[in-house]
Amino acid sequence: MIAALRRARDLGPLVSRIVAAVFGGYALAALSSIAALALPMRKPEAVLTGMLASFAIYAAAVVWVFAVRSALRAWMGLLVAAAPLLLAAWSVRAGGGA
Amino acid sequence: MRSNDSTVPRAVSKPPRKPRGIRQTMSDLHIWAGLLVGWFLYAMFLTGTVSYFKDELSQWMRPELAHQSEVPDPALVAQRVASQLAILAPGSPQWSIGMSDARNNTANAFWRKPGVQGRAFENATFDPSTGHKVAARETPGGEFFYRFHFQFHYMPVLWGRWLAGFCAMFMLVAIVSGVITHKKIFTDFFTFRWGKGQRSWLDAHNALSVFGLPFHFMITYTGLVTLMALYMPWGSDTAFKTPAERQQLTAELSAFIQPAKPTGQKAALAPIDDMVRQAQARWGRDNINRVTITHPGDAASRVSVSRGEEGRASMSPQYMLFDGASGKLLSTKDSVGPAAETRGVLYALHLGRFGDLPTRWLYFLVSLAGTAMVGTGLVMWTVKRRQKLPDPDKPYFGFWLVERLNIAAIPGLSIAMAGMLWANRLLPVDLLKRGEWEVHAFFIVWAMTLLHALLRPAKKAWLEQLWLAAAVLALLPLLSVFTTHRPLWQSVAAGDGVFVGIELMLWALAALHAVLAIRTSRHAAKLRPSRREAAGRSAATASAGEAA
Amino acid sequence: MSHLAILLLCVFGFAALAVVMERHQEDLFGRPMVPATARSLRVAGWAALLLALAVAVRAQGWALGLVSYSGHTSLSAALVFGLLIVQARRKGRR
Repeated sequence: MIAALRRARDLGPLVSRIVAAVFGGYALAALSSIAALALPMRKPEAVLTGMLASFAIYAAAVVWVFAVRSALRAWMGLLVAAAPLLLAAWSVRAGGGA
Repeated sequence: MRSNDSTVPRAVSKPPRKPRGIRQTMSDLHIWAGLLVGWFLYAMFLTGTVSYFKDELSQWMRPELAHQSEVPDPALVAQRVASQLAILAPGSPQWSIGMSDARNNTANAFWRKPGVQGRAFENATFDPSTGHKVAARETPGGEFFYRFHFQFHYMPVLWGRWLAGFCAMFMLVAIVSGVITHKKIFTDFFTFRWGKGQRSWLDAHNALSVFGLPFHFMITYTGLVTLMALYMPWGSDTAFKTPAERQQLTAELSAFIQPAKPTGQKAALAPIDDMVRQAQARWGRDNINRVTITHPGDAASRVSVSRGEEGRASMSPQYMLFDGASGKLLSTKDSVGPAAETRGVLYALHLGRFGDLPTRWLYFLVSLAGTAMVGTGLVMWTVKRRQKLPDPDKPYFGFWLVERLNIAAIPGLSIAMAGMLWANRLLPVDLLKRGEWEVHAFFIVWAMTLLHALLRPAKKAWLEQLWLAAAVLALLPLLSVFTTHRPLWQSVAAGDGVFVGIELMLWALAALHAVLAIRTSRHAAKLRPSRREAAGRSAATASAGEAA
Repeated sequence: MSHLAILLLCVFGFAALAVVMERHQEDLFGRPMVPATARSLRVAGWAALLLALAVAVRAQGWALGLVSYSGHTSLSAALVFGLLIVQARRKGRR
């Protein structure tokens, strides 16, 4: 029982990073594709720009998550990156369509 | 020098670990990302590589159709097929006709089934000189490998595409982490050498990765881009709420015009060939890609004629739009916005259809190197860990699984692909659903290679499958002699570059598998004595178990 | 025809640059190279690679030219690498 708990504790950070990378990374990429709508260009162009860039953002997020020293830093980094994107996405929704 | 030679991954339960450097973590990320989806990636890479010559392969798989020495006039082809479609699918709201060209001796068409809700399409292949359905054996041709490459099979198309995208994303991460890990990638550019044992696998993997790096990175990213509307629909869903709004986006992406509301008023379809001739005047006689017709026979009918793909490194839509009833030119779409054009270029880079023959061969060769890159990576995983096995004959489950899957995924796939071509030559022409049975043959043979890989000792399985692959590939041209009227010497005499090219390529690939088999058997023959001692078994037993 | 020229220029370029690398000088010549020779080979190598790019763009335009140049550099680098291996093995066999 203790051994199992210890193993769970040791694996915890790894699992946390995997979640951050796979799901957090996707969420960040998806968020950025919505935030792209705030760019000063026609809607179809902004949509496509967001889509095109999203995979680079996803890949960068995954590399970040595994490069940093702790799972906590990994999540913090994702949240810090997400904050301005959330603002931009919010403004897009609030501002409505062009 | 071997900067990315990873040390033994430390057991998770050891107390205080000093923080691992970035190259070590990136190496781990690279290995896991590659291993988890490596078998899918190998299959995607190999079928994708073959797809650069899918049209030629399709020709080879329809030997009843004569070698095309001249490309028929697309205007006439379009008219012929359209006339046929008027008989086959008169009530359909949408027809789309793909032209034959220098590489493709058939025309194809798909159409929306009339009266069916939602998107239900039928398709057929047509003889460009008559417009009738091809009088050749029913076969998916090279299209099967192409479609398998991004949507697999035996599963809903969307699931397949999601799986492919998932794997592609892992590949992208593997590339980035691979580059970070191999920090001295440029200073080391020519200094990796052919080492021995584990070293040579690493060197091969490194060489294949580094020399093809521009391609591998491009092909992975652009692969994701081709299906990006599926993977990242959020921006589009936020910006466009109605189908009409979404049309703004679709118009930037495709020439596949959608049917508007029909008026119900009958009006005969104007001559298609005249419309195509106007497009030919603009873009060149053979530079026509598709003709899409909506509501043929109705006053609301529209016809779009889109520009061919050759010599143009972009898939962004360029088409001329005509009134279907009068034949009058309504508009010409010549350009799209910069983001849309970027997407068009990236899409074109992935498909590689714009290139001339030498460029296509470069695509094929570098893509084949990419396939080998994935394969060497998978094999390297077992080679590295085999050294550390306490008892090589009883590996832990993970190792056993990876080793066996490698065999089925690598030489097994070659055997399966050749197996499909054997089925193409052997299945009776009048067999019901013959085309589907060619595909079933592919999977049945592949499953048998998996079974073989699970049951035989690993080294023997490798050798047997490599030799079998060499044999089934090499025998295909011979099989053609007995089952078709297109033996190799006749193709040479007729100057049929397609048939000659395919059959010579089959022999070249057979030779490649034979070389790999020979190298594998030599590698199996000489094993380090220290390993045998460590295993604690007698030399006699060891050599008996490991003899090729 | 231009494809052949591009490929040959790239092979020459990479070969020149490879030869100049110190490790290979030891292996190929048994002694380090005179610095002046090394410098001119380096210049020649890069010049050949740039010239290949120019030929590609001239013959096919920027878009198609860059694509085929990319393919040719991959292929030629691999060929030069292969030649180095063959040479090293021949030397090893004495």
